[in-house]
Amino acid sequence: MAASIRRSVVAFALCGGLVGGCASGDTGAAEVWDPIETPNRFIFSINRAVDIIALRPLAVMYRDLVPERAQTSVRNALDNLGEPVTAINEVFQGDPSRAATTVARFLVNSTIGLAGLFDVASSFGLERTKEDAGKTIGMWAGVEPENGGFYLVLPVVGPSNARDGTGMMIDYLVDPFRILTFNLAGNNWDAWQAARYGANVVDYRSRTIFALDDLERNSVDYYAALRSAYTQNRADAIRQKREKTDTKSELERRENLSLVK
Amino acid sequence: MPLLACRRDVLRLAAAAVVAGVAWPALAADPVQLVQGTAQQVIDIVKTKTGADRQAAILQVLQTKFDLPAMGRFALGTHWNQATEDQRARFLKAVATAEARAYSERFGQYGGQTLTIGKVTPRANGVSIVDSRLSQTSGQPIKLEWEVRNDRITDVKVEGVSMVMTRRSDFNSYIQNHGGKVDALVQELEARAAR
Repeated sequence: MAASIRRSVVAFALCGGLVGGCASGDTGAAEVWDPIETPNRFIFSINRAVDIIALRPLAVMYRDLVPERAQTSVRNALDNLGEPVTAINEVFQGDPSRAATTVARFLVNSTIGLAGLFDVASSFGLERTKEDAGKTIGMWAGVEPENGGFYLVLPVVGPSNARDGTGMMIDYLVDPFRILTFNLAGNNWDAWQAARYGANVVDYRSRTIFALDDLERNSVDYYAALRSAYTQNRADAIRQKREKTDTKSELERRENLSLVK
Repeated sequence: MPLLACRRDVLRLAAAAVVAGVAWPALAADPVQLVQGTAQQVIDIVKTKTGADRQAAILQVLQTKFDLPAMGRFALGTHWNQATEDQRARFLKAVATAEARAYSERFGQYGGQTLTIGKVTPRANGVSIVDSRLSQTSGQPIKLEWEVRNDRITDVKVEGVSMVMTRRSDFNSYIQNHGGKVDALVQELEARAAR
């Protein structure tokens, strides 16, 4: 009897977790759905060890020792390589004109901007955007943006969830730059790719030193604090995209109405 | 009859105008002044004070401009109801100290930033959201949203990350991993405050 009660309690808790994770709650950000917390925490602790031993010191050195202009150029070049993926996502976010701007940016910066080292396009008034498939999925998924499926900690990359992990995989697969250079680079392709992703990681880490140090120092459970902060930050980005589209489609609707009249 | 209806409409419009005229400044002006005043106060403190002096001054700003009891209560979530009066008081005190320290250290590394206030959005329950941007000397500006209720700041969102919500997750997880006892959290916070 006791066992069956216990079992039903467990089943109930599981159901609650599933429903809670899938249902669109009012905010959802307070309790992030994390059914694989134990493996997540395991990967998290490995990531943290790697971070303390290698990644953070490397990022600090990069931030403090490399001249600021060189850092800007590295960031420009890396962002430029990511521009095709952004353009593809902007098409699927229903914003082809913005995608065209991104392609224009890519062409200008890759040529006049010396392989993307200089962001000439920005001075032409072509502003930079950064989109990923996680945001694209989040934009069209009919759920609260706080709900990105189960929370997931990826090796090296860190906090993610079902939505953003899938997005990352899609971005990797459709990346035109990766596909096109496969034939051009020949044998060194792996090395070039590794260099690119490695540089991205160091550059990104160097920009998050301040925020992550702050979060770690001021939390009693760093894992939970980062889980919450990541979820909220992504949700905010997606919400902004949604609101933008809503305003735009509303304006288009009104324009069409006035055309009909 | 049409004239009467017309007059009624005019009256209604006038009433609406009066209501709008009275309600608008009350809703819009005060939160902006509060946020701007608070930001200015903090900037002055950061410019003139360091160390323990600064932390004390920041704590005073937190106590006068922020609704710390409400924030603490929300951060503790469902555990608030289980906590005794004594635990609540100790918790609020430790959290205030922790936040004051966090803010004084955070701004210690800052320098030369300016806060630009954007639009104000009124929400339900007398809450107003004040959008703002913190411009840094280098790099992208940081998006800050302030939640204001009853002339007190109740939350700050940095790039969409709510301070109170993050604390809530943090505290709840800590309590859960320590046998569901509020006492463990209070002790940890007090130990950190004493450090």
